Amino acid sequence: MYYLIILLVYAAVDVIACLGLSQQFGVAGVTNFGFIIFQAAGAYVAAALALPPDTANGGFQLYIGGFSLPFPLPWLGAAAAGGLLALPFTFLVGRRLRGDFAAVGLLVTAVLLNLLVTNYRPLFNGDAGMAVVPAPLAHGMFVETSKGYQYAFAAGGIVVAGVVYWFVRRITESPYGRTLRAMRDNDKVADSLGKNLLALRTGVLVAGGAIAGLSGGILVSFIGVWSPPAWSYAETIVLFTAVIIGGAGNHLGAVLGAVLVPVGFEEVTRYISNGDQNLPPNLLPSLQWVAIGLLIAVFLWLRPQGVLPERKRVISAPDAAPGGPGGPGGGGIRPARAHHPARSRCEGPEILRASAVSREFGGVHAVAGVSLSIARGTLTGLIGPNGAGKSTLLSLLAGTDKVSSGQITYSGRDVTALPAYRRARSGLVRTFQLATEFKRLTVLENLLCAMPGNRGDSFLGAVAGRRCWRADEDLAIERAMTLIAEFGLTRHANDYAGDLSGGQRRLVEIMRALMAEPEMLLLDEPMAGVYPELARRIGTALRDLCQQGMTILMVEHELAIMDEFCDPVIVMADGAILAQGTMAELRDRSDVVEAYLVG
Amino acid sequence: MSLLLSSVGFGLITSAVLAIAAVGFTLQFAVTDVLNLAFAGVMTAGAFTAYLVNQAGYSVWVGLVAAMAAGSVLSALLNYLVYAPFQRRGAAPITLVIVSLGMALIIEFGIAAVAGGVGVSYRMGQGRTVRLGGLVLTTVQLTIMAISLVVMVGVHALLRYSRLGKAMRATAANRMLARTCGIRTGRVIAVTWAVTGALCGLAGTVFAIDVGSFDPTSTDIFLILILAAVFLGGPGNAYAAMLGALVIGLATEISAAYIQADYKYVVAFVILLAMLAVRPTGLLGTRT
Repeated sequence: MYYLIILLVYAAVDVIACLGLSQQFGVAGVTNFGFIIFQAAGAYVAAALALPPDTANGGFQLYIGGFSLPFPLPWLGAAAAGGLLALPFTFLVGRRLRGDFAAVGLLVTAVLLNLLVTNYRPLFNGDAGMAVVPAPLAHGMFVETSKGYQYAFAAGGIVVAGVVYWFVRRITESPYGRTLRAMRDNDKVADSLGKNLLALRTGVLVAGGAIAGLSGGILVSFIGVWSPPAWSYAETIVLFTAVIIGGAGNHLGAVLGAVLVPVGFEEVTRYISNGDQNLPPNLLPSLQWVAIGLLIAVFLWLRPQGVLPERKRVISAPDAAPGGPGGPGGGGIRPARAHHPARSRCEGPEILRASAVSREFGGVHAVAGVSLSIARGTLTGLIGPNGAGKSTLLSLLAGTDKVSSGQITYSGRDVTALPAYRRARSGLVRTFQLATEFKRLTVLENLLCAMPGNRGDSFLGAVAGRRCWRADEDLAIERAMTLIAEFGLTRHANDYAGDLSGGQRRLVEIMRALMAEPEMLLLDEPMAGVYPELARRIGTALRDLCQQGMTILMVEHELAIMDEFCDPVIVMADGAILAQGTMAELRDRSDVVEAYLVG
Repeated sequence: MSLLLSSVGFGLITSAVLAIAAVGFTLQFAVTDVLNLAFAGVMTAGAFTAYLVNQAGYSVWVGLVAAMAAGSVLSALLNYLVYAPFQRRGAAPITLVIVSLGMALIIEFGIAAVAGGVGVSYRMGQGRTVRLGGLVLTTVQLTIMAISLVVMVGVHALLRYSRLGKAMRATAANRMLARTCGIRTGRVIAVTWAVTGALCGLAGTVFAIDVGSFDPTSTDIFLILILAAVFLGGPGNAYAAMLGALVIGLATEISAAYIQADYKYVVAFVILLAMLAVRPTGLLGTRT
């Protein structure tokens, strides 16, 4: 019976930890191989807060702190410690570092922190660890060893686990959670749509760290001891196994995984191993780790989505899309910026200017001293042979890539140093040459997450709950459904974007960029892979947008499209601008014809 | 002064061992695209293979060759049975890292289950002591350095002058393009696993010789030194890994002479995190 109570407490602790990890790994795509150190920090801090100064009990253990704080302060301190410990690691998971390298950095950190704490006794009593940590409220009428107290503790742990579940679900199912999932699927694109990756990942690390810290605090106040072997780096792998088996991105799956792997598997076999004395002492624990390794590989192979896969968020449209059928070209795709009047608009004939912009890759000048000026309301074409530097130039203008030298001015403002997400927020939005849909978001969700100004698209907004952001969300859904109807994809609105055909994904990309309410669009081959009839309809739609005040710069190889819709057309070759004018004028220039039109 | 000199001596030996492992790891990563965290596990497998051979009555240097064979076979099997199928399915790089961690657990604790958790050491003499300037080294230590030097020259020759090396570099630069140029990338990758696996088994054994007593988890910390060396120079670049190994080996051992020996890995750790944060492509590299 006593054993059952212990299992219940362990289950609660593991469920809390797995929920934190599920939020980081499954939802936001941040692979935190150092997850266990946040739990450890919580445990140590809870112990140091609850214990008397280390001179008590004959001074047999050394530690900092020792404040004899009453419950629930040690638990709160544990959560705070986990959250604060996350801050120094945000630099690792920031904008620039690829996910697997960051994961390696965190793994290494976990190993070394364990080594340091083991060897440095004054901090948390070194390798012996901390002991006799007081149980919460265990004095007076509550007797720590009584069965009633133990049951109450288990119940308390389960309640906390329930609260954490409610919390992570609230975050995940909000527009903010959708942005996290978008970042997981493609962070570069999220960046280009105005999402601040560093802030998003910081939020995820801190929230997950606090949850991990809380789990450690609860655990240490139950078992009363905490030492380095309890948080070896490999314990993180156990939690990862749980989340992968349960289903990454599904919080119920994390709960299931926690019950199956750390509790059902580890604790139960630990219990069995105590029974049989004939086996070598090291054998069962070792085989347990082997089994964990096998579970990871086998599950990732046979059922990578887990037992309970991430749920598809089907959103039913409020009512039939008001835009009606007919495909794009109906003139209905207008930039609905009515509810976003705050954006600073410096009216003038010129919206974007590049002055002597260059980009060098290891000695190769992909873009060499390009100067151009784009007039407001134009649909400008950008053509040139492969390798001319068109896409690189687009990246430099959008801020996806940094210039080696030169200056970029947008709406009268120098944006050369602004990161992509800041440029996107000021209305300069790009699309990419290769398909970049958020694969595991539906078409509708792809569009929704591009919509700026949703109150639910922030950590605090998500915590505040649906009441805070429902109105914004409904508005966004209405706009998105209109747009989807105009592009003829209503039937696919609730399909995963990753399941669409190549041409349909191009459309999703354009629609998503339009949802971001751009003042100026940078399109990289928007019609590649789209059948000619639809390409012409897109062209017409884009021209209509420009007549309504939008500015578009478009890279495209299809000269017929250029002929019909673009004026002026800029020709690039070898990283420089060769000519600019209408297609008719360009056809008369021998250098242009030689460089591009003939080949 | 003699403290500094002797720590330089230790540093050079650590660098020599580290260089073999780091070059193997970085080539593996460059060509196969797998950030193989089971590398330390394969090292351990090599070290224990040499131990078995040594226990059977043969010299540890015979064991060294057996360890290379074992590392080679084990790595090739890992690729054939695990990594290659995942890659064919288009698994994300991070998925492969997680799988490789699983493989690390299987290998390391599989050995622990058989061998037990106690430390073992080879039966071998340390040879005569040699004085070189102010450095005092044993013949065994000199042999380790010589092996490392031979390996470095060999890797250079392989990459620079052989058809295989050229194919490896082409595959590393752009697998798809290499394939369309008529390079059988699947075979190049399989051979790369075998070659780097041999380096890994070799590194495991010289590591075990160097530290004296080892158990199945001994190489865990060493993996961090490998990662630090690889990321310092620039992941995927063999020469950068050699440079990184030299710097990390010297830095850890020299710092160990002046701060507490338990904390010597902290230097490697700080270097690694700083490189990841400031310049993830490393000192020499451009590959990301």
